[in-house]
Amino acid sequence: MNKISSIAVNTFRESVREKLLYIVILYGGILLLSTFILSPLSVGAAGGKIITDVGLAGISLLGVLTAIMVGSTLVHKEIEKKAVFMVMTRPVSRHEYLIGKFSGMVMALGLLMLIMTAVMAVMIFIGRGVPGAPVFLASYLSLLEMMVMSSIVIFFSTFTTPILTSFFSICIFVAGNLSGDLRAFAQKFGGAFVGYFMEVFYYLLPNLKVFNLRNEAVHDLRFSGSDIVLATIYAAIYCGAILYFAFLVFRRRDFS
Amino acid sequence: MPVERETLRVDAVRKTFRGELGMAPKEVLHGVSFEAHRGEILGFLGPNGTGKTTTIKIILGLMRPDSGCVTIFGKNAGDRMALSRLGYLPENPYFFPHLTLREFLHYCGSLSGIDSDLLGNRCDEMMTLTGLSESADRRLKGFSKGMTQRAGLAQAILHDPDLLILDEPFSGLDPLGRKMVRDIMLDLKKKGKTIFFSSHILPDMEALCDRTVIIRDGMVVRSVSMDEVFRMAGSGTEVIARGCSEDIIEGITDYIDRVASRGRETFLHVKKQEFLRTVIKHLYNNGADVLKVVPDQLSLEEIFIREISGDPREPGMKADHMSAVLPGGKEAHDE
Repeated sequence: MNKISSIAVNTFRESVREKLLYIVILYGGILLLSTFILSPLSVGAAGGKIITDVGLAGISLLGVLTAIMVGSTLVHKEIEKKAVFMVMTRPVSRHEYLIGKFSGMVMALGLLMLIMTAVMAVMIFIGRGVPGAPVFLASYLSLLEMMVMSSIVIFFSTFTTPILTSFFSICIFVAGNLSGDLRAFAQKFGGAFVGYFMEVFYYLLPNLKVFNLRNEAVHDLRFSGSDIVLATIYAAIYCGAILYFAFLVFRRRDFS
Repeated sequence: MPVERETLRVDAVRKTFRGELGMAPKEVLHGVSFEAHRGEILGFLGPNGTGKTTTIKIILGLMRPDSGCVTIFGKNAGDRMALSRLGYLPENPYFFPHLTLREFLHYCGSLSGIDSDLLGNRCDEMMTLTGLSESADRRLKGFSKGMTQRAGLAQAILHDPDLLILDEPFSGLDPLGRKMVRDIMLDLKKKGKTIFFSSHILPDMEALCDRTVIIRDGMVVRSVSMDEVFRMAGSGTEVIARGCSEDIIEGITDYIDRVASRGRETFLHVKKQEFLRTVIKHLYNNGADVLKVVPDQLSLEEIFIREISGDPREPGMKADHMSAVLPGGKEAHDE
């Protein structure tokens, strides 16, 4: 555990000392600020909703993009530059290394989320009043979504290049947001083969829709607490499974 | 508890690299075998591209061999117990540029399982030992090559390992840095540690090693101890003289087997030690000056070159002798 936390802290340090994270925070700040400036142009109460809607969407999108950008180089760079030798020639197993990397990345992304959510909450407070619990829960679900994406990015980075890792991860992100719709569409209009294919696809890909509580947060709708719990369990199981597959690939890998 | 004599054993290790884009696979190690004993400094010598680094990576568990096995303190390569007793300095090390030296050593120490209460002091000790105390809080990305090499050595010995594997430890170091590394290695040897290192700097290797393993084309071609190198001295002696005419040499042909001339100097190879006095006396009595008397002795470099090039030259034959003709037109042959 101590070794995993050492690797996690090092990864966290590396991520927060990267200029990229600051650029993302700056970009997120500008995005949130722009919604704040534009919201008075809307009619009535819609202005306040725009801040929440665009703010949460921005947090989710920037978070996932950061996870892909940072994560795709994180493991690959250490292997390429041979810094991984410093870890792998010590009594550290490969699964500890991967879990440490993943944890450090989640810590850095968590910090990013925290900053962006705080900025958004202040803006909602100014434009609309005290932000409700759904806003923070929506942010929490976005963090879970980022965790799932981080595990996928780490999985790809154990055996391919950063460019391909980014490409595959973006494809999975898009497909993961559409998999439910595609499955429903195939069941309604597709044949048996397409239906079966989409069924497999649906269970294999992450269902990222379960991490979307933005509509409820924007319109102050009621939501079920069990959905949050289930989404948390789903994220934990999915991350665990993907990291296990990453370990299966990584443990066979030669470091040349 | 019995004392472990054998620290490292590499047994018939083979490794083939997959060919890229239609290229044929290439076997880089063809059954490499050797062992290192406790308290020994073992050198690993070979031209570039002969499989030294691949062998080291297999020892460290960074690569898996196709066949054969590596054991460290009786455990398989890559085993946690084995790794906990091992320190490694890679060739051209690249560390974590975002960390300061202190953070880097703390990180390495925690991964090696050093108690957190002891870690701070141990890091300070290592920084002092490698002369990097003043750079403790500088980021590694600002380090020169020599400083990086020192930092690499500090992390390699931080956890007081029993086996140290150093890949080109003198690379990028200035003379003072090289001396520092040599002194640290000798000190560790005194403490009973085993050191296995590769280097191209043969005088350093000759000065440090108890034994050297020479590898060529992925095969160990020779394992030679330094005692053996010293014992390989030939039975003869070389006398370098000035003012030797053919007439003078004519009088001692029974005692010498080779003669070479370069400029004003004449190189006379005396067949046996006991003939030396007679030869020198003869040269003096006939007005020649004796400049130097050199006993036959092979250097590690000569052995290395002979093993690598397949040069069958015998001990004591210097490569730069231009001619070897005895008076009277009798040609002396290199045996």
